[in-house]
Amino acid sequence: MTPIVSARGLTKRYGRTLAVDHIDLDIPPGRIVGLVGPNGAGKTSALKAILGLATYDGELSVLGKNPSRQRAALMEDVCFIADVAVLPRWIRVWQLLDITEGIHPRFSRERCLEYLALTKVTLDHKVKQLSKGMVAQLHLAVVMAIDARLLVLDEPTLGLDILYRKQFYTSLLNDYFDEERTILITTHQVEEIEHILTDLIFIRDGRIALQATMEEVENRYCELMVRPDRADEARALGPLYERELFGRHIFLYDNVSRERLAGLGELHTPSVADLFVATMKGGAS
Amino acid sequence: MKRLLTLIRREFWENKGALRTTPLIIGGIYIVFLLMSIFTTAHFDNELYTFREAVRLLAEQPAEFRAAHGEEVLLGSSIFFTIVLAFVVFFYLLGALYDDRKDRSILFWKSLPASDLLTVASKLLVAMVLAPLIFWVVFILTQVAMAIIASLMVLSVGENPWTLFLSVVNPLEAWFLLLASYLASSIWFLPIYGWLLLVSSFAPRIPLLFAVLPPVVFAILQVWIGFLRTFTLNSNLFGVIGEWVANSPAILSIGVHDGRGMLTLGAPINKDFDHAVTLANIFDRLFSVEMLAGLAVAAAFLAATLWLRRRATDS
Repeated sequence: MTPIVSARGLTKRYGRTLAVDHIDLDIPPGRIVGLVGPNGAGKTSALKAILGLATYDGELSVLGKNPSRQRAALMEDVCFIADVAVLPRWIRVWQLLDITEGIHPRFSRERCLEYLALTKVTLDHKVKQLSKGMVAQLHLAVVMAIDARLLVLDEPTLGLDILYRKQFYTSLLNDYFDEERTILITTHQVEEIEHILTDLIFIRDGRIALQATMEEVENRYCELMVRPDRADEARALGPLYERELFGRHIFLYDNVSRERLAGLGELHTPSVADLFVATMKGGAS
Repeated sequence: MKRLLTLIRREFWENKGALRTTPLIIGGIYIVFLLMSIFTTAHFDNELYTFREAVRLLAEQPAEFRAAHGEEVLLGSSIFFTIVLAFVVFFYLLGALYDDRKDRSILFWKSLPASDLLTVASKLLVAMVLAPLIFWVVFILTQVAMAIIASLMVLSVGENPWTLFLSVVNPLEAWFLLLASYLASSIWFLPIYGWLLLVSSFAPRIPLLFAVLPPVVFAILQVWIGFLRTFTLNSNLFGVIGEWVANSPAILSIGVHDGRGMLTLGAPINKDFDHAVTLANIFDRLFSVEMLAGLAVAAAFLAATLWLRRRATDS
């Protein structure tokens, strides 16, 4: 299968700092990929390069196109929402729909209206009259009504209440996602998207710290909770990361067989958030 | 084509105040002034005796005289519209590629499959065609309204407006000349439009400053260096821009010819072009060496604009 996104040595410099440092990346179709990293890790820089919004060095191909030279053509098959509400403040909702319909060949007004019917947004509203959460709802409704092959969401639910966040991810999964489509999401609220992801990419200091499918993550990583008296034994097995909780020691292991760990204490599959902390603080990857 | 029209609609919606409300307000001011002068006349002029006499004297003049003067009044009243249009276009272009960078909505616009070339083209077309067209239409509507009011006034003193001016003055020629002048001016001022778009595509803030300061500094340096070298004040960028405006095909000023006021194309401060208001003189400017040089400058500015717009994001 040809990958949706393929990068070789992708690099983005701002002056002398490397925001993205020689990344190699392949994202196959039909995946929901979570791109997770601390602030300033280079997530947004990498996404901007993929979307043709910034210059870059190295090779990059998105849906077989060169994003920096073929942005307009690429945007027929790619949709994105940037990290905060970026809809023009002067526009009325009906004008937004008219414009999107006039420019985007794959926009369905009916679907958009269906999504909007679930919100309090009306066609006559001006964007500047809407609350931040309603703007995000409007933008999501527009984007989900576009039949795109790659959807890029950079902090899509920032400022949304928990009810709408849940509803959004449910409808993203049920109504929008299929084997043809690929979704690339960055968010700080990892726990909310962990159950819908198929792939995970950790990024740190402009480099990929971890790239794995969720199955690989489950097979590779294991979390062990032990009493203090057996902590040294656990430590000897070379954990990635160690923390303490209510007097228990919790160790996170990479590629240590569960049979060897089982005798020492309780075994869990680590959450993405814990794995993220371990990877970022532990140093090894 | 559908995309280009959509982008132009977007510009209209975003700049409704400048593009639609402004000319309507000017038209309104014209009509209010006309009504005010009518009430003033009615207030001081006992039973409109003087007004009646004036109309009678006018009716006695030969039809050719009335036709020629009528046309000049029609065209001359456009000058205020033209000047405001110039301001509207100036500030529209300065904001055209700046506002969406400032409020970050460029990230939304760039998520749509419209090329940057099409975006820049839509903004240039609004400045060159849509804005003049709207001002022109509102100007015509204003004149029709004023003609109706004037006819009622003439009727009220017992004269016939039809034979006095309605059948004599042909407004179509004046309106057509004005439209030709507007569109030709759009082409004539392309180098300046190109500069304004270029500034709006890169200015980090206050595009007005970036648009005005470099040419001013450049011209002052020219004057100073020229003075140091030759002790004379030779032509400089101020002069070039000034002459450019003076030579423009816009119906701009009232010169004096044979002892009476006359409308002129541009300002008759030099003899590079014939300044009489005729279609031939409008075309004369478009097919001149100056225009060719101006188009070359405009092409360079617009190419740079496009290059910058392709790279533009929110920060």
